[in-house]
Amino acid sequence: MTDQYIELHAASAFSFLEGASQPEELVKRVQELQMPAMALLDRNGVYGSARFHTSAKRNNIRAHIGAEIAVSGFAPRLTPPAWLPHRHVTEPARVSLLCESRAGYQNLCQLVTQLKMREKTKAEGSATSEDLQRYTGGLICLTGGDEGPLAAALVNGGEEAGREVVERLVETFGPHNVYVELQRHQEREEEWRNQAALRIADSLHLPVLATNGVRYAAAYDREILDLFTAIRHHVELDRAGRLLAINSQRYVRPASEMAALFHDVSSAIGNTIELSSRLKFELSDLGYEFPRYPVPDGETMDSFLRKRVDEGVQRRYVPKDNPDLLARAKKQVEHELALIQQLGFAGYFLIVWDIIQFCKRNNILIQGRGSAANSAVCYALEITAIDPVGMELLFERFLSESRGEWPDIDLDLPSEEKREQAIQYVYQRYGELGAAMTANVITYRGKSAAREVGKALGFDEESLGRLSSLVSNFEWRGKTDTMAHSFLNAGFDLEHPRIAKYLELSMRIQDLPRHLGQHSGGMVICQGQLNRVVPLERASMPGRTVVQWDKEDCADLGIIKVDLLGLGMMAVIEDCLELIPRHYGHPVDLAQLPDDPEVYKTLQQADTVGMFQVESRAQMASLPRNHPERFYDLVVQVAIIRPGPIVGQMMHPYMRRRQKKEAVTYPHPSLVPVLKRTLGVPLFQEQLLRIAMVVANFSGAEAEELRRAVGMRRSWERMKNLEVKLRAGMTANGLDEATQNTIVQNISSFALYGFPESHAASFARIAYFSAYFKVRYLAAFTCAILNNQPMGFYAPAVLVKDAQRHGLRVKPIDVQISDWPCTVEHESDGSLSLRMGLNYAKGLRKQSGEALVNSRKQAGLFRSAEDIALRVPSLNRKEFTLLARIGAFNKIGDIEHRRDAIWQIERAGRPEGDLLRQHRDSLQDYSEHRPLRQMNIEERMVADYVGTGLTIGKHPMHYRRPQLHQIGVLSARDLRTHKNGEFVRVAGCVIARQRPGTAKGFIFLSMEDETGIANVIITPDLYERERLQVTGSKFLLIEGALQNQDGVIHIKAARIKTLSGNSLEVRSHDFH
Amino acid sequence: MDRPLNQDKALYVCMYAREFPAQSLLRFRGELRDKACVVMDGEPPKRYVCSLNSRARKLGIVPGMTQIEIDTFPSVTALPRVKAQEATAKAALLQCAGTFSPRVEDQSNDTYFLCVMDIAGTEKLFGVARTLAENLLERVRALAIVVRITVSRNFHAAVCLARRTSAGNPVALIPAGKEAAVLAMLPLSVLDLSTELAETFSTWGIRTLGMLAALPERSLIARIGQEGKRLSQMARGNWPHLFLPIEPAFKLEEHVALDSPVELLSSLLFILSTMLEQLALRVSARAQALASVTITLFLEGNSQHLRTVRPALPSNDRQLWIKLIHLDFEAHPPQSAILALTVSAEAGIVRKTQLGLFTPPLPEPDRFDITRARIQAIVGKNNAGSATLNDSHHPDTFHLDSFSVPSDVANRAIVSLSRVPMRVLRPPEPVIITLSGNRPLKFSFLGVTYTVVRAYGPWLANSDWWSSTLWGYEQWDLIARTHNGSLIYCCLVHDLIKKCWQMTGLYD
Repeated sequence: MTDQYIELHAASAFSFLEGASQPEELVKRVQELQMPAMALLDRNGVYGSARFHTSAKRNNIRAHIGAEIAVSGFAPRLTPPAWLPHRHVTEPARVSLLCESRAGYQNLCQLVTQLKMREKTKAEGSATSEDLQRYTGGLICLTGGDEGPLAAALVNGGEEAGREVVERLVETFGPHNVYVELQRHQEREEEWRNQAALRIADSLHLPVLATNGVRYAAAYDREILDLFTAIRHHVELDRAGRLLAINSQRYVRPASEMAALFHDVSSAIGNTIELSSRLKFELSDLGYEFPRYPVPDGETMDSFLRKRVDEGVQRRYVPKDNPDLLARAKKQVEHELALIQQLGFAGYFLIVWDIIQFCKRNNILIQGRGSAANSAVCYALEITAIDPVGMELLFERFLSESRGEWPDIDLDLPSEEKREQAIQYVYQRYGELGAAMTANVITYRGKSAAREVGKALGFDEESLGRLSSLVSNFEWRGKTDTMAHSFLNAGFDLEHPRIAKYLELSMRIQDLPRHLGQHSGGMVICQGQLNRVVPLERASMPGRTVVQWDKEDCADLGIIKVDLLGLGMMAVIEDCLELIPRHYGHPVDLAQLPDDPEVYKTLQQADTVGMFQVESRAQMASLPRNHPERFYDLVVQVAIIRPGPIVGQMMHPYMRRRQKKEAVTYPHPSLVPVLKRTLGVPLFQEQLLRIAMVVANFSGAEAEELRRAVGMRRSWERMKNLEVKLRAGMTANGLDEATQNTIVQNISSFALYGFPESHAASFARIAYFSAYFKVRYLAAFTCAILNNQPMGFYAPAVLVKDAQRHGLRVKPIDVQISDWPCTVEHESDGSLSLRMGLNYAKGLRKQSGEALVNSRKQAGLFRSAEDIALRVPSLNRKEFTLLARIGAFNKIGDIEHRRDAIWQIERAGRPEGDLLRQHRDSLQDYSEHRPLRQMNIEERMVADYVGTGLTIGKHPMHYRRPQLHQIGVLSARDLRTHKNGEFVRVAGCVIARQRPGTAKGFIFLSMEDETGIANVIITPDLYERERLQVTGSKFLLIEGALQNQDGVIHIKAARIKTLSGNSLEVRSHDFH
Repeated sequence: MDRPLNQDKALYVCMYAREFPAQSLLRFRGELRDKACVVMDGEPPKRYVCSLNSRARKLGIVPGMTQIEIDTFPSVTALPRVKAQEATAKAALLQCAGTFSPRVEDQSNDTYFLCVMDIAGTEKLFGVARTLAENLLERVRALAIVVRITVSRNFHAAVCLARRTSAGNPVALIPAGKEAAVLAMLPLSVLDLSTELAETFSTWGIRTLGMLAALPERSLIARIGQEGKRLSQMARGNWPHLFLPIEPAFKLEEHVALDSPVELLSSLLFILSTMLEQLALRVSARAQALASVTITLFLEGNSQHLRTVRPALPSNDRQLWIKLIHLDFEAHPPQSAILALTVSAEAGIVRKTQLGLFTPPLPEPDRFDITRARIQAIVGKNNAGSATLNDSHHPDTFHLDSFSVPSDVANRAIVSLSRVPMRVLRPPEPVIITLSGNRPLKFSFLGVTYTVVRAYGPWLANSDWWSSTLWGYEQWDLIARTHNGSLIYCCLVHDLIKKCWQMTGLYD
């Protein structure tokens, strides 16, 4: 009778291992079948609903939202009968709920939050019957398929029990809100349940509803579902038996198929249309409201914000003593406040201001990054530290009338404890149900997919391990880096059907969700109860709650977030601010750091190990060419070594112009003011906006729309319309077609990757701080950076060697002096030195280290090995040996050298038991004889690297220098004096390997020797030939042509050899 | 032990063959001796190098490398490990050692061969120690195995010196009293230290036995315990040893060559009976019983017929054995006349049953064995047992478990739902079918044509899509009528893989 059918019971892969298709795939299929709507009901949540909704909107499909909720009050979920062998575990039955109205959605969110938050840790959880009764309004209940309570009751207690369950549901949800669900998957067992359900529906006068209990988009995807079932139950497919699906019928069926299947109960099909029309709720009607900031009586949020901003303007601009700047600032602030008031964002700014105030009160360094630095209001509120008026930054990049979304403010905090403190403040201020972290959906990637599929197909651990190690991790992937190639390399025969299936499945599950994680810093905050907007659940980290949507989902639905991000360098700067006054005797004020020529000189020489953002190999290679002389050069430097400018071929023109090797030209004379600062080369997103504003008379808001349209891959149509407008504007301004083409080309190639100038300025500021501290306060800076590892580009060993080359005296770990962290010491000649902390003794537990320091502080220096063993009982034998081996006991009593310490500590670390203590004298080791020989230089070095990961002694290459010298191997320093094109040999310890996505498969190695760092370029061909050596060897000897241009030095490797004879295993930092 | 330890008179010869898996394989493969060869152990893909020759070592190959790593080296011959060949080579070496001394201790492991001979008092027979060692070396060379031979008054000193890895003189003697001096230069690795101790000594900078010997023994014991005493004395070459000579292997085997070919089973059983009696006597002397008996018949035409009989429990009951063997031969008779036969047996522990006063008597296991053997002789060994359903959606799949007493009798409450009785056809009967669309219209079953009146289905089931055993069925429940009006209620299955229709059951 009807060709209309709507699928009202579908689950996506966001039912985590119980569904096999992405929500977008389901929508795509629904659109192909011309179904006007679909309902998504994932297990215990609405994880996939945001993506489902967004995708459905794009395709003009109505997205009904619901969920399958586990309820413990019903009989457990249907399993095969006990007399059949099976591996099913007992799970609660799940009630299927659909949201009829916003109230229904809010109830569903609260119900899910209730059941999730009842668990003490991250867990699946289930609702109680009471929960269900509490949150019924606006929800429609379906009796479900084989996961539902009706099926379980029918099988366990027959038709009578089934009727009772349905009556209970009717009692809970009301007679008009319960549908008896019928599913036909062509299973014999299912049909008798359907017949019973029909009789029950008839007797209770309830409507019946046909659904297909969809778990995947196409029948073929049943394989993925079976695979997920095996993964979920930790069994191999061969042994999963009845856990697996019996057939492939749970796909999105077309209306005609459903009508044929239900020809005998046609009302069941008709009811899907009727019910769908009842479901008014969609996610666009979320009812989300950002929290209002409490203001004193008589104030509005706008007036309160205005006062805070006015105070800020006075504080920020008046000391600069520049009336013109002040006037411009006041004007800009006015403009911004007006827009903020118009858009109703005052509360948001006040909330971020409140977080900043909290951090300031608690001495936590905080700085806004990203486009917020374009706002004078943010600057006045001390959210950001870059003056947008002084730097002429474009506010529209941050906030514009037409954006239709909330502004985005990202805050950088020192990592770990301080960041946690700020996060906990937000929780405390807005309540457990008022704020939460955004989720991070963990999806299957190459390695995890290969591993889990392999396990399910019964491959052994060792083969899987080998395969995982071969799946390439570098950012750039060559043609041999495909998964198929990795399979071949791991010794798998792709002709074998099972292995072919293995490969196919591994590729098919790529990007499917595995489980929910927690985003590192994104927090969402809500007026009223966040748990009415989106369900909350426990994160694995104690004390954290997380919403069921990720960052993009929240942004798509207009939920505002504040990103509290950890930035290691902020912690270093914070530590420096504490160390410098203590050891150098004068305070430093970040706002007042001078423009120091010495700092710029260091930057020009690319002597930047340890400095924020400018320490990578690529940055070092471009610094001498860019030759920064003032702060703005650093802003460009930070922005230019990025995939955007490199892919958009902006970097080389800029560098050539900077070196005056190329004339500065502009696409059009009107663009001179816009592009002057960057020598006619567009580098920043703000410039793109201004170009559109200047050449085509776009308003700020329109220009921002253009940037976003270019940035979003799916909006080509929108882009086309804007391009027409852009060209029309340019024509009106008299630009010829060639110029127009250049400008359009510039915009489209660049906008995808461009960097906001404001963001670059915020990062450049931190980069300058780090450079300044390193140049002026090396001891404090090195101490701070070593205490905040791991961070940055280089391992501590490299940082220490670099500091030593710059004249810092670094002293070894000594139990008589060292604290847990590294410390700064004052030498007799007035200079400062660095004392390595016990935290660098690898394998020493923090509690033992601190116990040792406390004992020393309370009872004085240790007198002997036995004394330390008695006073610090928490030190175990391994820790004793470790400390002795790295020389930390060398200053105790009569200990002469490291092995002497080991010999004594081996005895002291083995006290005799109580029984023998009375005969202690006879057991005493009175021998004065010290039988162990002192370690030689190489042994000491090996012990240093093994025990601390670094050596403060000479570099390992130093000892081999005479021998290397004989065979014509140059040091890193020697290279500077050799000419471009000369064939050279260098050797060193590999400290970093990089294969950037933009470098077409080239590999960049950084090799350190006792004189500095040499940079090596390896071609893809050479890499293919010497893969093992390049990725496996720590010490290499490289031969090749020297490239020495503009003070930038590289060796283009022609031959690679492992430098044998080193017993060291030094760690390198590999970046992918 | 049979002789008291007497360090003064003791004299030991140690024979050591390194890379034994490789050596035992290459001794018959002269053409490979000049090539780099490795021996691979383990099942693919977990194969790894377990042994190698010196040419392979020179290339940089080390034990433990995987097949993939080996593939990166040019011209390396990889041979699979053959343990049987190692066993025969080892037996040959031990036999050779046995000709010089009755007291031989075997200390071989998985990768090397090492045995020590107590040669005290053999001087008059074989000459002085050096002469004996050189003669021994000569004999072993004939076996195409490279060994190192050492002689010492101290057992461990001889072993340590033999295990020295560097090449040199294949025969070395440690003069009495010079043990410590000779051992001093040897690396610590000759002591087979635990990883933990090896790490400790490496930290101490102790690399040779001499350095270890120089450590004060008492201080060493205070640091690493009594193990310190042993190692210290071993390093000095004065740690005593309790000699454990190997015993000849206990082998249950009898062989009889017949004067004339025998064809009758009864004659054969007569001979077998006496052979079994011998075996039973020998095995019962060790308080054991025969667990399994393997009979190898050497037949006319140079063929063999091999049968193994294994009852549920070991037994020395000759009558039982004869009955079981008789049944087995009835089921698997030899194809031609018998010329000779070998009977070998495995020993097992005799059954001990403690019956309780109130325990109901169980059936005699011996009789059960005979019954089961009779059934298996008829239906085949894998077709008798207790049927167990498989955990699979596949209809009717089951496997046969061997009989066992159930550990508990579960009370499974089965909900009484009205179920329709069904007669399952085994095996299913093929039918010829006429379809309309995908639905059955008519079918012919056992020569009768039926017209479908009502059809329910199809019920679909398919799985094992990841494997070669994939299957798929479509089931139909049908009510059909013959031309004379009688009805049939049945279940038809369409095998989607084999593409055939079958009748699987009839409803009552």
